[in-house]
Amino acid sequence: MIVKDAVCPFCGCLCDDIEVEVEEGRVVAVTNACELGTTKFMGEKRMKNPILRDGDRWKDITYDEAVRYAADVLLEAERPLLYGWSGTHGEAQCVGVHMAELIRGVIDNTSSVCHGPSILAIQEVGHPGCTLGVVKNRADLVIYWGSNPIDAHPRHLSRYTRYAEGFFLENAFRDRKVIVIDVRKTETANIADEFVQIRPGGDYAVLSALRAIVQGKADTIPRTVAGVTREQLVRVANLCMNAKFGAVYFGLGLTMTQGKYKNIRNAIELVSELSRHTKFTISAMRGHYNVYGSNEVNTWMTGYPFGIDFSRGIAFYNPGETTAVDILARKECDAALIVGSDPAAHFPRKCLEHLADIPVVQLDPYPNATTAFCNVQIPVAVTGIDAEGTAYRMDGVPIRTRKVLSTDYLSDEEVLARMYARMQEVLEQ
Amino acid sequence: MTFLMLTGRTVNQGVTVENKTSAEYAAETSTCFMHEFDMMELGLDDRDTVRVTGACGEVVMRAAASPEVEMGTVFVPYGPYANHIVAAGTRSTGMPDFKSHKVEIEPTDEEPKLVHELMEDLGGLAYDR
Repeated sequence: MIVKDAVCPFCGCLCDDIEVEVEEGRVVAVTNACELGTTKFMGEKRMKNPILRDGDRWKDITYDEAVRYAADVLLEAERPLLYGWSGTHGEAQCVGVHMAELIRGVIDNTSSVCHGPSILAIQEVGHPGCTLGVVKNRADLVIYWGSNPIDAHPRHLSRYTRYAEGFFLENAFRDRKVIVIDVRKTETANIADEFVQIRPGGDYAVLSALRAIVQGKADTIPRTVAGVTREQLVRVANLCMNAKFGAVYFGLGLTMTQGKYKNIRNAIELVSELSRHTKFTISAMRGHYNVYGSNEVNTWMTGYPFGIDFSRGIAFYNPGETTAVDILARKECDAALIVGSDPAAHFPRKCLEHLADIPVVQLDPYPNATTAFCNVQIPVAVTGIDAEGTAYRMDGVPIRTRKVLSTDYLSDEEVLARMYARMQEVLEQ
Repeated sequence: MTFLMLTGRTVNQGVTVENKTSAEYAAETSTCFMHEFDMMELGLDDRDTVRVTGACGEVVMRAAASPEVEMGTVFVPYGPYANHIVAAGTRSTGMPDFKSHKVEIEPTDEEPKLVHELMEDLGGLAYDR
């Protein structure tokens, strides 16, 4: 059986033109997806049943036992942390927020170690963004800043920018210029018309220099700024001002470096400056396929996009205090629920040392690095493969992922709903 | 020698990220991409092992020459090896300094640990069924 127009649940591009061939309950071939998406669709070695850590060994348990254990551990905790949420669908995220409120926990998603700083900047100065379709059809200049789509979002270039047709561009490949700004000469830099190499940590200075040039103050710029020559900065500023429609896509090269959200704020303000001359937009290259959805769901349910603390009975948000890395490093939480992410692979070691000391429950289809710190892991269906649900593309467009095969695994939403029901039952008693 | 360590996504890291118990994931995320002149300076050949020491610990990786990396900086794919030495401070943003870590690098005869071993060192219990 061939499933057409399946949605790829890997990165924020959420490509919706994938063809998946299924035979005897297994994915045997994938067409149109990139290497990252293909590998995810073809993924094997799933965990077969829930497991419980029993001293120095692992014991198989039933779903009922696992759900009961998870609900009870989280209920008993004084300050439970509910973390992850980017690798699951919106419906499961909703249950997560309700659960966090019920047990007065902290709910945070992976954006706190990804584009959280971008959101902080957007809260300060707004987000002049647009959908990917607008960029594809109109943009004659695309800037990738601190992002390397060839490795992280492989089809972004072919679907929307470098190699895409554009409705309002006669010959998109010739007429659309691509500028890459990075500290490394990445694969993406190799296919750019102009590559600007910045000294690590110099993004803020280069953004400020470009703003000054766009404001007509090129004569104030020193000979080089963070390793970039004045001539190149002026050339890039002119390319931007002479474009009919420009789009900036930035990645973690801006959010994870020195300056963090201030870099993004400066980039957004550069875009506002450019919009006085021409049309310009800016958007984040979101990583996980539904990390944007997690911010959306949290925001419409609590008012805040991540790092939400319900310990006061109301939603409280203070990044740096109510975000997962900080809570773990301060050894503050006394139980953790991990859904759709793998903090043990992506958090600093100090956080893991605390995960080892507290009860941890994880919902994930595969054994991963966090499994080692779990008391219970509950295998679930993979959204977009054997579960369906809503995900938000990197430009904020909600897309319903499809189920390409059926398995006996419960979805994240089903497991969380059972845990939530159990918690309500206990609390009513 | 002192270097600035950046971490980031690579295709191989992304391809193996759903299979973190695999040897391929361990190999990719324990690779320290360096400029070839820096490797020469340290007397390193491709795939030689190095001890990378950060503010809060050390970890053994394998050096690999990369034309993408500038002298004085090294690039390590996101994963448990880099995070073994990344400090947890977030400067009140929630985000650690994943792309601006000062590290010391020296040649070593030790082999990189398995992902399991790293997790067990920190108090976890490997699951490998």
